[in-house]
Amino acid sequence: MIVRMSKVEIAGPKDLLQDALLLIRETEMLQIEPSAIGFIEKGEEEYVRTFLPDKDSLSERLFLEGLKSKLEGFFSYLPVIPARKSYIEPRAIIETIAETIKRHTPACRDMHQRKELLKKELAQISNYASFLNTVEPLLEGIEQTPNLEIIGLTIKEPRILDHLKELIRRLTDDESRVVTANTSNGTLAGLIITFKDKSENVKRLLKDENVPELSLPLSIEGLSFTEKISALKRKIIEISTGIETIDKELEMVAKRWLPIYSRALEWINERLSLLRTLSSTFETRFCFFIYGWMPAEDTEKLKKRLDERFKGKVALEEKGTVEEDIERTPVILKNPPYFQPFELFIRFLPFPRYSSVDPTPFIGIFFPIFFGMILGDAGYGLMLLVVSLITAKRFKLNKTVRDASKILLVSSIYAVFFGILYGEFFGELPRLIGIEAICIERRTAIIPVLYFALTVGGVHVMIGLFLGALTAFRKRAKKEVLYKLINILIILCIITLVIALYGNASGLFTMPIVIAILILTPLLFFTGGLLAPLELLRTIGNIFSYARIMAIGLASVLLAFVANMLAGMTGNIALGIVVAGLLHLLNIILGIFSPTIHSLRLHYVEFFSKFLEIGGRKFEPLKKNG
Amino acid sequence: MEKALIALSAALAIGLTALATAWAQSRIGSAGAGTLAEKPEMSGIIIILLAIPETMVILGFVVAAMILTMK
Repeated sequence: MIVRMSKVEIAGPKDLLQDALLLIRETEMLQIEPSAIGFIEKGEEEYVRTFLPDKDSLSERLFLEGLKSKLEGFFSYLPVIPARKSYIEPRAIIETIAETIKRHTPACRDMHQRKELLKKELAQISNYASFLNTVEPLLEGIEQTPNLEIIGLTIKEPRILDHLKELIRRLTDDESRVVTANTSNGTLAGLIITFKDKSENVKRLLKDENVPELSLPLSIEGLSFTEKISALKRKIIEISTGIETIDKELEMVAKRWLPIYSRALEWINERLSLLRTLSSTFETRFCFFIYGWMPAEDTEKLKKRLDERFKGKVALEEKGTVEEDIERTPVILKNPPYFQPFELFIRFLPFPRYSSVDPTPFIGIFFPIFFGMILGDAGYGLMLLVVSLITAKRFKLNKTVRDASKILLVSSIYAVFFGILYGEFFGELPRLIGIEAICIERRTAIIPVLYFALTVGGVHVMIGLFLGALTAFRKRAKKEVLYKLINILIILCIITLVIALYGNASGLFTMPIVIAILILTPLLFFTGGLLAPLELLRTIGNIFSYARIMAIGLASVLLAFVANMLAGMTGNIALGIVVAGLLHLLNIILGIFSPTIHSLRLHYVEFFSKFLEIGGRKFEPLKKNG
Repeated sequence: MEKALIALSAALAIGLTALATAWAQSRIGSAGAGTLAEKPEMSGIIIILLAIPETMVILGFVVAAMILTMK
């Protein structure tokens, strides 16, 4: 149900404004309205203006905003570690925190920057190291004499290797050797071993052929190839140690200061939210005014709290609501525990308006019934029951999954119930052992099931229309009430007429019903306008849409039937069980999604369109972490 | 011959409506996916929009079932 709300005004001396806001925030009962429209009576507008914060409040806000950004900057340099909770009261030490953060931030920023530089250097050296590690085995068996030079290169296109080898062979008069190895990224790492006097020509050739020569860091220039490898390895260890040391230092800082600074930031956020709320309040020369909405049942409690705290200096007054307020009133949905999980489905839609009816109880009643009617298999129902119990237990802390599991639990119970009525347990297994359906056999009685589905649809849509009339009555829209009621009457007449003409009822009924429809039609035009008959046709179409309960149910039962039939055709017990098991599993998975989507659609499109008014505001009271 | 015509009628009733639904859902689905990328809070409305054309194939199925079963 939608909780009844009260429009309230809280007033008191200006110096008590912040304390009053603190109390309101503590109680979490009031949603403050930043606009005074509808709250200030005519003639009083010139005396009441938006609250203008004084110099102290403004400087406090600026100081806290600055400190907040400094703290957030400081946190960005620190590693993410599980920090202990600090119970320190930041208000008393906020000035000290502002001083210490001035010293800690540059120190941590320096460490962070050093770490980033080292990481960059490590990444570069690792690239060289990866190349050198690849070519290291190629050096085995090559005697490194002072007159030899080894040139490293990376060949991105392996097909040019033969051409390159031939050019080098000619250039060095066959006094060189080219060896290559595959790298992990698909290129070739190569070494050209030649005499020092010929190396310059080789390097020039590489440049002309656009084959990049590997350039190593200047620090290891002049070393032999094997020495370069060792030097790079030493450098990698050195840099890694440097990074580890910085990490340890940052972690130490985080362990020591993060709890205090986190608590300070939390307090600053709370304080800033309070200071920002000041701009949503109003003032006269001596008084403050807070306008807002709160649950009607809580007004007395808040009044009592204000009296106790301010000894009658701050007063709460309930104001009368007018028709225009319905648009502005925030909405709270409050349902009994059974219906609460079904609010999950309402969250998919825009919030209902205050004048509307809470659709949660209706979806809570009808959704599991429709689900059960569509799935209608005791075996599948039992399996889903087990699945829902397991997920509910496993995901206790995840509200969405927990709610979905509860919905599945209720729905699967209905699936078992309808499965018993239809005589279905993993398809037509009960009939194989001679048990007949209690009520109806869906696979063969297609038309009776269709009539049943349409009847359910008729009742459901009619309830929707009745709720629409009720909503209109609450809004005092008499014409709309009449329109909805005439719709109900005409649909009832049409249903009776169809039964009288095609069913077993007496034909004597037909004439009075036709006359009734003829009388009601002009009234329909009068109350609903020229498009009213179209709307009526849409409503009749909505009832036909419930045929999906039969159609999807039939598809499900036929798939189960096919699963059992195929299993029987295999002629092998083990293979039959596997085939039937897989097909039944597929059917169960479809049996979760299909009935859910279609039951939801029947609610969202066919049912809710008859009464639900969307576009409401969710109630958001002033609270600490709001 | 009569049986074949009845079967063909039923097949047309379900087949044509299935094609119509598939076409409509493909258009709504792609537009819905685009909308969801920008406004994830629209998921409820998109599910509704996506399910609306299914009425066609379901009514087609009902008509096909009636053609095959009603004398």
